[in-house]
Amino acid sequence: MVDGVNFEIPKGKVLSLIGPNGAGKSTVMGIISRLIASDAGLVDFEGTAINKWKSRELSKRLAILTQANNIQMKLTVRELVTFGRFPYSGNHITGEDREIIDQAIGYMELTDMQDQFIDELSGGQRQRAYIAMVIAQDTEYVLLDEPTNNLDIYHATNMMKTVRRLCDELGKTVILVLHEINYAAFYSDYICAFVNGKIAKFGTVKEVMTKENLAEIYKVDFEIQEIEGKPLSIYY
Amino acid sequence: MTTILKSEPLDNAMAVKRKSNVRRLIALAVMAFLTVVLYMTLNVRFDNPKLFEYAMRIRTPKVITMLLVASCIGGASMVFQSVINNTIVTPCLLGMNSLYTLIHTAVVFFFGTGSLVARNTNVAFAMDLALMGVIATFIYSYMFKKTKYNVLYVLLIGTVLTSFFSSMQTTMVRAMDPNEYDTLLTTLVASFSNINSEIILLAAVMMALVVIVFRKDLALLDIITLGKEQAINLGVDYDRTIRKLLLGVVLLIAIATAMVGPISFLGLIIANLSRQLLKTYRHSHLIMGSALIGMVLLVGGQVIVERVFVYSIPISVFITVGGGLYFLYLLLTQKRRS
Repeated sequence: MVDGVNFEIPKGKVLSLIGPNGAGKSTVMGIISRLIASDAGLVDFEGTAINKWKSRELSKRLAILTQANNIQMKLTVRELVTFGRFPYSGNHITGEDREIIDQAIGYMELTDMQDQFIDELSGGQRQRAYIAMVIAQDTEYVLLDEPTNNLDIYHATNMMKTVRRLCDELGKTVILVLHEINYAAFYSDYICAFVNGKIAKFGTVKEVMTKENLAEIYKVDFEIQEIEGKPLSIYY
Repeated sequence: MTTILKSEPLDNAMAVKRKSNVRRLIALAVMAFLTVVLYMTLNVRFDNPKLFEYAMRIRTPKVITMLLVASCIGGASMVFQSVINNTIVTPCLLGMNSLYTLIHTAVVFFFGTGSLVARNTNVAFAMDLALMGVIATFIYSYMFKKTKYNVLYVLLIGTVLTSFFSSMQTTMVRAMDPNEYDTLLTTLVASFSNINSEIILLAAVMMALVVIVFRKDLALLDIITLGKEQAINLGVDYDRTIRKLLLGVVLLIAIATAMVGPISFLGLIIANLSRQLLKTYRHSHLIMGSALIGMVLLVGGQVIVERVFVYSIPISVFITVGGGLYFLYLLLTQKRRS
């Protein structure tokens, strides 16, 4: 349950939603992306309320990737990425679509395994395939719900680096729900912290990542250390 | 320029895979054709024109019925499995078989086996179709919407209805005249006899109508199987599409069951065999494969029933026994989801 949540998403930046379990981060993500209907309130997307947008049009501007990705289909990587072009071409893929699909697969370094079935890949590879599909969907806004879940440190770090590249190289506005606050601190521009369904803190990384703020949000003691100019937290 | 050149070899691997599936579908079509030819020509007296004409008159409607039923059940089962997102469900779970049995038992119970409704196959077909169609549409379409589009409710409602219809049917049977019951029993088993050309025509037309009316939703089947969140992400109205697909499934099963009786368990076998043979997500291929395998099994099975067992064992026995064993096999070999 979320209550009285009010914020503006900064364009062309990476925003991380953090907070304890049940704070409402995924719910807010769901409401922003029209996956969940809100009981009250308004989500304004480029001047129009989100529930007034035609879903097909919206899918060309906004992409969301949730955690529920355990489909049982016999789908190859390339076939999955091809679905990303559905909002534009339906079931009939054009030559231009194929180029975009190639580029998306290449960007995520999946070219060698693009004909393997996704249920035969490792968790990290499968996640990369889904990100490739999001890239092929070619949207300005990308919403990712806990993209580093179930990934080991190597793959999780690479995923965050990819998120950064989506913003810096491809100019996308990325919003993430994250549990690992250090990934949020190191790789995003803004942080929005939720507690009990409300926003506790919203601001730049430097503004939010302080000992006092984190103690208030997580009810645990933190130390902050600066690494490469970014405030990283140590908790124990 | 370079990117276009790059596309070609990479597309080739997918094209090869698609070609092998197309080859398999063609092989299945050939098998189906040969099975039909076998059925139509085995033990036929080509030398005697009267006997030949008699044989053709008996066999042609049967074979056409089998092809129609295989298509209905094959398509409906595949779509149903995708809607429920589970490969070991069958439209039997909707309870239509029990409803069919109940309708026929009730007719005999209230009107007797001598009545028009019980004897005339056209009237029986129309009544079956109307009742099953209306009840199923009301329950599944309306209730599905009322229960917030949760597919688990569909299965739950189906299970409850199956019990409900079966209990009523059992009660009637207990109070029925035993002679009437004997006559009734033969009609409760799936049978391809007693089909005339009017029924076939009506059924074929209705099948075509269902496919045409729901063609846009059928085109979205591949996206639907990506899951609700992904479907919405890609701009598809998931709830509405699922509801329409479910309605289509229900109507197709009603048509097939009204034609020949309780046959929808076949769907489990042919849908899974199709998935095993054609390793693809494309429903256009899977449904075609399912229908063709259904044709081979039904026509081939009927050849065995008629020529080897001389009509003593109805085909539903093979379907149930074979299907049951195959179902156990599927359960035991199902990959554990991590």
